[in-house]
Amino acid sequence: MASIDLDKMLTKIKSTQWALSDIDWDAPGAELITDEQWPKLKEFMADLMWIEHVGARAFAALAKKAPDDTLRQIYTYFHAEEQRHANAEMALMKRWGMLEGDEIPEPNINLRIVIEWLDRFADEMPLYVLGTVVPMLEIALDGALCTFLLDTVKDPVCHQAFERINDDESRHLGVGFTVMEMQGRGKTFIGATKMLAPLMDPRLILGIASYAPLLNKMRDNVIAMGLPEEKLYKAMKKFERIGGRTEDGRRNPWFQIIKYHGRFVTNRSQKVYHVPVDGLVKLTNMVPRRALPAVPSWVKELTWQPTATH
Amino acid sequence: MTEPTAKKKPAPRKAATRKRAPAAKKATAARKPARKTPSVKPVSVLIVGAGFAGLGMAIRLKQAGINDFVILERGNAVGGTWRDNQYPGAACDIPSNLYSYSFAPNPDWSRSFSGSQEILGYIHHLVAEFDLEKHIRFEQNVAELSFDDKTGVWTATTDKKAVFAGRAAVMAQGPLSNCSFPAITGIDDFQGHKIHSARWDHDYDFSGKRVAVIGTGASGIQIIPELVKTAAHVKVFQRTPGWVLPRPDFATPAWNKALFRKLPASQQAMRNLLYWTHESMALAVIWNSPLTRIAERVARLHLRRQVKDRWLRRQLTPDFTIGCKRVLVSNDYYPALQKDNAKLITWPIARISEKGVRTVEGIEHQVDCIVFATGFDVSHSGTPFPVKGRGGRVLGDEWQGGAQAYKSINVSGYPNLFMTFGPNSGPGHNSALVYMESQLDYAVKGINKILQDNLKMLDVKEYVQRRHNKEMQKRLARTNWNSGCKSWYLTEDGFNATMYPGFATQYAAQMAEFEERDYETV
Repeated sequence: MASIDLDKMLTKIKSTQWALSDIDWDAPGAELITDEQWPKLKEFMADLMWIEHVGARAFAALAKKAPDDTLRQIYTYFHAEEQRHANAEMALMKRWGMLEGDEIPEPNINLRIVIEWLDRFADEMPLYVLGTVVPMLEIALDGALCTFLLDTVKDPVCHQAFERINDDESRHLGVGFTVMEMQGRGKTFIGATKMLAPLMDPRLILGIASYAPLLNKMRDNVIAMGLPEEKLYKAMKKFERIGGRTEDGRRNPWFQIIKYHGRFVTNRSQKVYHVPVDGLVKLTNMVPRRALPAVPSWVKELTWQPTATH
Repeated sequence: MTEPTAKKKPAPRKAATRKRAPAAKKATAARKPARKTPSVKPVSVLIVGAGFAGLGMAIRLKQAGINDFVILERGNAVGGTWRDNQYPGAACDIPSNLYSYSFAPNPDWSRSFSGSQEILGYIHHLVAEFDLEKHIRFEQNVAELSFDDKTGVWTATTDKKAVFAGRAAVMAQGPLSNCSFPAITGIDDFQGHKIHSARWDHDYDFSGKRVAVIGTGASGIQIIPELVKTAAHVKVFQRTPGWVLPRPDFATPAWNKALFRKLPASQQAMRNLLYWTHESMALAVIWNSPLTRIAERVARLHLRRQVKDRWLRRQLTPDFTIGCKRVLVSNDYYPALQKDNAKLITWPIARISEKGVRTVEGIEHQVDCIVFATGFDVSHSGTPFPVKGRGGRVLGDEWQGGAQAYKSINVSGYPNLFMTFGPNSGPGHNSALVYMESQLDYAVKGINKILQDNLKMLDVKEYVQRRHNKEMQKRLARTNWNSGCKSWYLTEDGFNATMYPGFATQYAAQMAEFEERDYETV
């Protein structure tokens, strides 16, 4: 994946849009979901849908921080595209009878905390922080989860939807890695150190405290679903491989941080990391939902309906 | 160019042709048959356009004792922008006491910010009071303006091949007079009703209808509060939010009107007060100064006071410096968006389909009608019709890299031609008519010179124009308009051929002196 021309990418993005109504959600194939799969798939899809949705919100924050108009527009499109993925995944859930009425699936508590953090602080984060975390989340969670889903689910409509979603995601990753390299370009030691300054920002520390248990929680969830742990780790390794393929990419200190963090996550024997983070997962599980403020209104924008008539 | 409410969108303009005003059927004044003949007797002055500019020009010419002029109007009524922009809620965003001619005060403005109907009424009043109707030739859509070097006469040829000639010509066709539907993919596929804000369809009944409004600039924010009152549902598609300031709009009490009528000096005093208040806004709007931050703070407080939801506030918060795009004023736009039957949509538009608007989040928003509040086709680099100067040179060709003129009014190589709202004459903070008055008086001086000295040509020297523009662009580089946002003020390449980089007072000073030495005379 070489660095890409962002202007050409924007033109391509604009010209290759799809809508939920391009897919026939009532086509045959829903019956291919087995009874055994159904309950696990329901949880899995809900998590996936929420990850897309928080990804969307992160892109909205990136759009505010974009250094030029092209990147601002690209991120604005990506924000909407991630929302489209969440909507399409909800439409699949609806197809499979996993939604009751107009209900939106409940996010798990770690996602809920991440949503809260994004709502309060994401817009304040510098480009290079979210610009590095988002590709990692996309590659690890989206990439691994989507591959797994397609390996497991036989419904052709699901394949049809994810073919489009994956096309979008590959563009998101292409831009993500290009921006990471842009951020690392020509960075001196001092410049790189300055980029690390936000690490001292309590808002970011809170962000890390919500991001780390989310990863571990997701790992636990997907393993419970039957996803081989290695597949997740293989996807995370891809981040290290692509992000570190150029000098510029490697010079981005946030790439280095996220890379090392990825290594910790994938190394179960790394007790120094996993014991406290797993502890955090347990701790957050005890947070009563009532203690959290009302969900922000951007969450209510989700819909499984391809058309809005009023 | 300011006030005429609706505006936005840079809209690159390619074809140098004008669109006819709708339903122009019958002329209400005498029609000159004028077959194409080279021997048409030239009048002293040919004026193109019977909007504020053209009529103002006519009044000032009359007051200077020049009565031999003709106004060519493509529509069948006067009023220009204010004739065309009659959408619900259409109003001026500059107080009426400032958005009117100082030489024709109106003591009876009903509100501090009058609506479009009342402004149009004022324009009709100008025509009657100054007996202008006899000078107007309706339904004469100028298709070409060309100068004859030998005779020193401008000839206007209309689309019906009628020919008019004048020793001087004034292009007063207005910068915000042409509009078209935006180039959104699939726009022609839409099976419902389409309305452009500047060509309102008064026969369409919105009650019970699902409506999409595309565009949230000056027109959009006036239309939306009116539509939510009648439509079943209004979806507002926003690309970029603008800065919105509160609008101090009050009904004028009867005693106030009586005072203005009995004591015209009091109205002049009010005008002066409004003028200087707006002048001070230049410090916030044109240049990035501490006042800019204060203006942004006021707009943010206005937003915070009217919108409680954090995400909606975020969606409505601009990410450019105030003034970079036209500043909006409204008290009822934000509340309208929060009505149960309204919804703001900030997802980019992917395309328009048969049944509605598809946005990038994958949803098709189905509606009965789409209102395009997408502004005007502002010409930055062309002319509305071919303008041929000395030796047949074509102005549109010369302006391809961006329009340039001398003091916004004359262009070298195009003698005896005067422009209202020519390049770099637009205000962002004050009344367009204040700028207009300076232009009209300057044109009168030039025209007087041509007529009194019996000149064949009064042509600004090329190097004088170049020097003027170098200075303009140097000053523009330091303004908020050139601070990075996209707006209708700029060309696609970011060249600012629209705005005047300074106070209205500076502009008036620039236009006060007619320097003969800047012109070549023949």
